[in-house]
Amino acid sequence: MGEAATADTNAGELLRVTVTRSADDARSEFLVTRIRPMTVLDALLAVQREHDPAVAFRFSCRVGMCGTCTVRVDGRSVLACQTDIPADTVRIRVDPLAGLPVVRDLIVDTGPFWQAWGSVRPYLVPGEDADVGMDGEPAVIAPDSAERRAIDPALDCIGCAACFSSCGIASAHRDFVGPAALNRAMVLIADSRDDATAERLRVVGAESGVDRCHYIYGCSAACPKGLDPAGAIRRLRGRRFRGDR
Amino acid sequence: MATGELWREPEVLDTDVAVVGSGGAGLMCVLHALTARPDLDVTVVSKGAVGRSGCTRMVQGGYNAVLDPEDSVELHLRDTVQGGKFLNDQSLARALVDDAPRVINELETRVGCFFDRRADGRIHQKAFAGQAFDRTVHRGDLTGIEIMGRLRDQMFRLGPRELEDVRALDLVHDAEGELAGLTALNVRTGDPLVVRARVVVVATGGSATMYRVAAPAREKTGDGVAMCWRAGLPMRDMEMLQFHPTGLLAGPSRMTGAVLEEGLRGAGAHLYNATGERYMARYDAERMERSTRDVVARAGYLEIMAGRGTDEGGVSIDISHLGSGEVERRFPGMVARTRQIGQDLATGPVQVSPTAHFHMGGVLIDADCRTDVDGLLVAGEDAGGTHGANRLGGNGVAESTVFGARAGDTAARLARQRPLRTPVQTEVRASLARAYAPLTRSLGPWPFDLTRRLKEIMWRSVGVVRDGASLENAGKELAALADEIEHIAVPGPPQVNFAWQEALDLVNQVTVARAMAHAAAWRTETRGAHARSDFPDTHVRARYLVQRAGGDGPAGAIASEERDVEFSHLRPDDLEGRPGS
Repeated sequence: MGEAATADTNAGELLRVTVTRSADDARSEFLVTRIRPMTVLDALLAVQREHDPAVAFRFSCRVGMCGTCTVRVDGRSVLACQTDIPADTVRIRVDPLAGLPVVRDLIVDTGPFWQAWGSVRPYLVPGEDADVGMDGEPAVIAPDSAERRAIDPALDCIGCAACFSSCGIASAHRDFVGPAALNRAMVLIADSRDDATAERLRVVGAESGVDRCHYIYGCSAACPKGLDPAGAIRRLRGRRFRGDR
Repeated sequence: MATGELWREPEVLDTDVAVVGSGGAGLMCVLHALTARPDLDVTVVSKGAVGRSGCTRMVQGGYNAVLDPEDSVELHLRDTVQGGKFLNDQSLARALVDDAPRVINELETRVGCFFDRRADGRIHQKAFAGQAFDRTVHRGDLTGIEIMGRLRDQMFRLGPRELEDVRALDLVHDAEGELAGLTALNVRTGDPLVVRARVVVVATGGSATMYRVAAPAREKTGDGVAMCWRAGLPMRDMEMLQFHPTGLLAGPSRMTGAVLEEGLRGAGAHLYNATGERYMARYDAERMERSTRDVVARAGYLEIMAGRGTDEGGVSIDISHLGSGEVERRFPGMVARTRQIGQDLATGPVQVSPTAHFHMGGVLIDADCRTDVDGLLVAGEDAGGTHGANRLGGNGVAESTVFGARAGDTAARLARQRPLRTPVQTEVRASLARAYAPLTRSLGPWPFDLTRRLKEIMWRSVGVVRDGASLENAGKELAALADEIEHIAVPGPPQVNFAWQEALDLVNQVTVARAMAHAAAWRTETRGAHARSDFPDTHVRARYLVQRAGGDGPAGAIASEERDVEFSHLRPDDLEGRPGS
C-alpha cells in the first residue's frame, strides 16, 4: 500500500495522511505520529485528535463486524479498522467510497446501497402455511444439505458496501443492484424456508440484475469477510436455466 | 443565550413509540411493537448506523436457550442466578430463561436467522462456561452478525421511521410532569429535534468504553442510563462491571481491548506473567487457566498491578504448544486478529489484558420493561438486575432480544392508553442549552484528553480489583472531572462534529462512572464481578444499592438506599451440595 519509504524520509516516525475533504478550503494533508501496530482507522483518529476534530469519518466496532468504517485507501475499498499500515509506508491517501453521495469528508450516504439491497426483498418470506413466530418450530435442515452448502459460505455479509464501491458497474451508477444485494438474493432463493423465489428471480433477471455484471471480480476481491458475490451472481445466472434452488 | 442563536427552532416529530437505540433490544422492540399493532407509528432514534452500531452485532459466542427436552428452564435459571451470585432480580432472570427458547423460534421462523445445525438438522447447541447443559445456540463464531443482519432486513418489511445519526439527549415532560418524549440532535445537520411520543423505549447498550482497555463498540457510552439518571430514575447494581480476561493489547491502536475468545483457555492455552511464571497456579491451582472468567480476569489484573506485567501492561497467552496447524484450524478468526497487529497466536505468545466488557447494572425495571415513569420502558444492557453480580456468556444477546421483544409488546399496549403530550419549553431549552454549550465556549479543553483521563481513573481505581482508598480517591477525581467537562470547548460548526459528539458522550460516561464508583465504595464485600482487596469475603445477606440523582448535572449529588434481594424463585440454600456452588 502507498509509497514505500526511501532513505531520506522519516520512516517509522511520521505518516503523511491525505484525506479527501468535502469542503474545498478544508485542510487535507496531515502528518501523524506512527504507532505500532497502526491501522487506517488509527491514522484517521490521530488526524482527528491531533490536528482537525472536524475531519469526518465513521466507525463503530473496530473489529470488522459493523461494516461502517469502509473507505478507499489508495484506491482500494477496505474497512479502515482491518487495514494495517505496513511499517515501510510513509504516505496514504484516503477517499470516500465510490458511487455513493458524500455526506461529509469520508462519510457517505449508504442510501443507494440499501435501496438496492431492499429491491431484492432481503427478508425471509415464509410460506403461507408456515408456523411463524414465538411458537413456530425451527425448520429441520441438515448442515450438509445442498441448500446449506450453497448458503453457508455466502452468509456473514456485514453490509459494508466495499463490493459496491469496487464494482465498476454499480459504483458508476449504471442501474445495477450490485454484488451485495445479489448475494443476498441468492441466499434467500436457495433457502427452502423462503417462498418468494419467483419474485426475486424476476428482480435479479431484470435489466438492473445479474446481466449487468461483467465478471471483473472486483467485488469478491474486495469483500473483507471473504465472501464471493461474483460466485453468487454466477449461481443466479445458472439458476435461470435450471429448476433447482 | 437566546434560542435561535446557535440552533434552529427544533422540528417537532410525533410518533407513537420512540425506540432509542438500534441494537438487538431496539430492533426486537420494533419487530414486536409492529407485529402486535401494524398501524403503530414507530421511530428508531440511533446515534450510529441503524442495526450496525452497538454490541449485539459483535456477539461471537452465542445465545443461551433451553431447546433440548433433557434440559430445563429451571436449570437455566439456576445457572443464571448462581452465576449472578444471587444478586439477580429473579423475576427478570425467570423471564429471560422462559422467553429465550421462544425468541429463538421467532428469530428462526419470522426473522429468518439460521443457526448452526446438528447432523440431524436440528439446532446445534454448544457448551459455554458456567452452565450445567450445552445450551448455547450459535452461527459459527459470528452469531451477532446473523441476528443483527436479519433484524436489519426485517426493517425493510416493517418500515419504521429510522432516524440514523440522531443522538437522543434528554427525556422531557409536560406541565403535569408526565413523560412527553425526548430531545434529540441530528449529528449530520447539527439541528435539534423534539420527538413527542406516547411511549419511549431506552435501549442504547452499556457503558464499558469508559475503561482504558475495553471491548465494546464506540457508541456504548452510557447514553441511555445517563439519560434516565438525569430524569431521576432509580438504578441498581451499578458497581457490577464484567471484565473479560483476555483482551488484545495493541499499544495505542484502537484494536486494544478487542476480545480473544474464551475457547482458547478451554483448549489449553497457558497464561504467563513477565517473569515467565504460569501465575494461575497461585490463584486457582486446580483449574488453572480454565478457571472462571472473573477469577482469571482478577489474577491477570493483580499480576499487572503488582508490576509483574509486560512492558505493554499485560500478561501473555500462549497456545502455540498445540502446534500452529491445530491453532489455525480451531481458531482462524483469533489467529487473524493477532496477525493483523503483528503478533501470531499460532506460533507464539500474545499480549493480553483483562478488558471491560459488560455492565450488569442499570435502570430498575419489571419483567415487562416498565420503569418508575409511566410511558418509559428500558430494555437490554441499560436495565439492571437480570444478571445480578455477573453475566453468563451467552445470556447477553438473550437478554437484549428477550427484553427488546417484551418492551415491544408492552409499548404496543401502552401506546393505546397514553395520549401525545406537549413538553414544557423550559425543559426543552435547558436540554438544548446543555448540549450546545461546548460549541459556545472558545476557551476550554478539547474532550479527547479528558476521555483518556476518565479511562485511566476507572481502570486504576474502579477496575477489576478495588479497595476503599482507591475508590474514595476515584470519587474525588471523578467529581473534579465532572466539573471540568462543563468547560469543554469544541471548535467548528455543529454539522458532523465528532469532537462535539465526544464531549456529549463524555458527560454521559462521567455521570455513569460516578454512580459506579459510589456503588463500588458502598459494597464492602466481594461478590461476582465486584472484587474488593480490602473485603475479600462475601456477605451472607445479599443486598443491593438503589441509586438516583440527588442533584443536577454530572457533578450533582447521588441519593441511595439499600435493599435486600428477594429470593422469589431460588434461595442460596436450594443449591447447597450442588457441584460448583
